[in-house]
Amino acid sequence: MYQTKKTFIKPDMKMSDLIFENPSLLLMMEHFDINIAVRNNTVVQICNENHINHELFIAIANLYNGFNITNTENISRPDTESIILFLKNSHRYYLDEKMPEIRDCIGSLYAKNDNPEIRLVEKFFDEYSQEVKEHLDYEDIVAFPYFSYLTNDDSNSKSTKFSAEEYRQHHTDIETKLGELKNLLLKHIPLKQDGSLRRKLLTSLFELEYDLTIHSVIEESILTPLIKKIEKQKKIG
Amino acid sequence: MDKCRINIAVIEPSAIIYEGLSNILLQEGCSHYNVYHFDSIEEISCEIPTGKIDLVIANPSFAKDNIKTFHSQKRTGCPVPWVALIYSFFEREIVELFDAVIQITDSREVITRTIQNLISLNCQCKSESKEQLTPRETDVLKHLVQGLSNKEIADQLNISIHTVVSHRKNIVQKTGIKSQSGLTIYAISNNINDYRILYLNSFFDVAPTNKSLSNIASPKYLLLNL
Repeated sequence: MYQTKKTFIKPDMKMSDLIFENPSLLLMMEHFDINIAVRNNTVVQICNENHINHELFIAIANLYNGFNITNTENISRPDTESIILFLKNSHRYYLDEKMPEIRDCIGSLYAKNDNPEIRLVEKFFDEYSQEVKEHLDYEDIVAFPYFSYLTNDDSNSKSTKFSAEEYRQHHTDIETKLGELKNLLLKHIPLKQDGSLRRKLLTSLFELEYDLTIHSVIEESILTPLIKKIEKQKKIG
Repeated sequence: MDKCRINIAVIEPSAIIYEGLSNILLQEGCSHYNVYHFDSIEEISCEIPTGKIDLVIANPSFAKDNIKTFHSQKRTGCPVPWVALIYSFFEREIVELFDAVIQITDSREVITRTIQNLISLNCQCKSESKEQLTPRETDVLKHLVQGLSNKEIADQLNISIHTVVSHRKNIVQKTGIKSQSGLTIYAISNNINDYRILYLNSFFDVAPTNKSLSNIASPKYLLLNL
């Protein structure tokens, strides 16, 4: 399933052209720890310089361009570390950058509008942040170390009780509540003097949601199938 | 969720025809349309129940090869209009399975009209006037945000649990909000409940009883500076 709006990225395209078309690719590169000064390099050149499988890079970049994942055959065991790095970096982005930014906006809104709705929105968001943090910590502390261990360990022993299946089941839907927040702010909560604050808040929410959506697609459609494949090779899981 | 965006799924093996059709749709639809490409009816079957697809345009050859899947697809709970995209010969029985037909020689105007006719039929049930909660839904919401269970609400309002559930479904659909805390904010914003009671409840997790009313004079309440 794909949406024909932006360029479908291919290995020999110039990275700078693609960024001009869709600046969110900068964020994607940051998640990969890639220097965003791309000069005149093509996608495949940048991947080679940074030792990232270009098939993986392109699959994810195309998600940012609005295309769904079509095939993951060429993403294999050695790519696990890149995927984990990407996901971990996005966790930092959510927890250290986006969530505090949104929290600040809500705080400023409350300072200007002393009404109970905003206090409740604040509470709503704090609870949501806690949920997200727990979920991301769980991935950082339990899931990812297991995946790394699994990829780097050559023995066939089953030394851990964790599995990709458990990971998949643990996967909570952290996007629903974001949608609710957007609905409340757009349609329902009457505010007076919010100036550009409400717009900033909503924009931040949209940005967070955009990246989170892609994040879960990567987990569900790239990482989970890959780990299952490795488990199968090792006959565990 | 977004009423203004219409998601159109297209099953068409020819890339030229798919791209051409999707360009017409994107231009004529004034960006109201999202166009998605699917390879098979099976693939589409996974998406339709999620409610994301509003209309399907398909080359009837897919239906011809999979009459059974096609029938079962059309029978499922979500009635999505199917449009046949025709540029070769198909038997009448196949074409009649579809809700409408687009011919390869149709003009842009005819194509968009065909689609708009089907969409507007569907859109009426989602239209503006229906975004307001009905008095009964408001009653259910009032009780809901006080933390009552479906059973308790049913007893209080003298209706069946089934009715409560269907009211709740409508509330979620109309407001776009599902969680109890989100609905509480909604109720306060729309002056549906006395916010002071809800406000207290949500901060202290007070069991929602009539006692909360007397709590208003309590120190907790003053502490909040309301």
